[in-house]
Amino acid sequence: MEKFAKAFPSKPLPSKTAKPWALAGVVGSGNLEVLLERGGRPSGTMECHVETSIPGYKASWLAALADFAHHYPAGGTKVTINDQGAPPVLVNLRLRQAYDHLTKGDK
Amino acid sequence: MTSGPLFHEQTARQRIAALADTGSFAELLPPPERLTSPYLVQLGIPVSFDDGLVIGRAKIGGKKVYLAAQVGQFVGGAVGEIHGAKLTGLFKAAARDRVPCVLIIESGGVRLHEGSAGEIAIAETMRAIFECRAKKVPTIAVIATDIGAYGGMGILSTCCDFRVMTEHGRLGISGPIVIEKWMGKKAYDSSNRALVWKTSGGKTKYLLGDADALVHDGADAVRDAVAKLLGKSSPVSLKGVKERQKELEKRLKRFGDTADPDAVWKGMGVRNIEAASLASGPEFAALAKRGK
Repeated sequence: MEKFAKAFPSKPLPSKTAKPWALAGVVGSGNLEVLLERGGRPSGTMECHVETSIPGYKASWLAALADFAHHYPAGGTKVTINDQGAPPVLVNLRLRQAYDHLTKGDK
Repeated sequence: MTSGPLFHEQTARQRIAALADTGSFAELLPPPERLTSPYLVQLGIPVSFDDGLVIGRAKIGGKKVYLAAQVGQFVGGAVGEIHGAKLTGLFKAAARDRVPCVLIIESGGVRLHEGSAGEIAIAETMRAIFECRAKKVPTIAVIATDIGAYGGMGILSTCCDFRVMTEHGRLGISGPIVIEKWMGKKAYDSSNRALVWKTSGGKTKYLLGDADALVHDGADAVRDAVAKLLGKSSPVSLKGVKERQKELEKRLKRFGDTADPDAVWKGMGVRNIEAASLASGPEFAALAKRGK
């Protein structure tokens, strides 16, 4: 297991979201779950906590998260990830799903 | 048949949303509470925020229910300490509040990484289910995916008043691979899907009277079947248990030595095996003469 945390600069989240938290994905082989929460955090950063069963890919994780924080206004959110070996493209997809659920509601 | 998504392809949370009246589901101990397994971490296995079980209050057709769904993709939907405690608490709350409890099962049974805690949780949940039944609070298990209900969860499902199944659902104690390991491939070939489903699948379980409804693989059909059962209960009595025991003894005597599952179907009144094999769940239910 490898565990790390980092905050990334991001534009503030819209002031209104559909819900206070959103979950995307599931902890299964080659998959991950992303919990996205809002509230009580500095509005200029996206705070990330990752726990993964595959050690040694911290640089890829940080790059994927930084990229998401750059492209989406997610400032003021907390991202917590439980990972079981998801590829980077899936990490990005789950982040986007969680973001959509948070801002627009589950559909 | 239906235009909606297939029930067995949906996630646990989607299944709950599909069964509950729109916007009525209020999750208990939701993911932000981070009630995760203390054991998996020690073994270097990733945890899940809901420990593989989503529980909460909801309404189905305007009626209050406690509703839960297991997440089969997370360690096979297996029951660990937290998962089990949520399960026990849910049925205890149902008994206390006299509100029906609906559980969408998708589990191989106890989580071996936290075996003792899981076993105890299953036993405690069974006790809570029987508390519900003593109070005539309906308990309904939905078994609708190929992960099915096995091991402790298989037993637990049969403790509930009713079981709603689809033809994708499977119900048993030992899973096919376990049976093959113990009895040999000649006795039971776990890679033979037709054999596996004909021995533990929804159609066979309905035919034998182990499942109370066999419905189409869609949320609407599952919801309708659950809604119909919400007002009913089947209290446990010594007489009832003895009768059930006799039925099972008869079944064992009749089919115990049979290696061919088709013989069981025939014995239970299915005339055209091929047509019955190809029939959808509800078609099968209409075709088959219900076994007693």
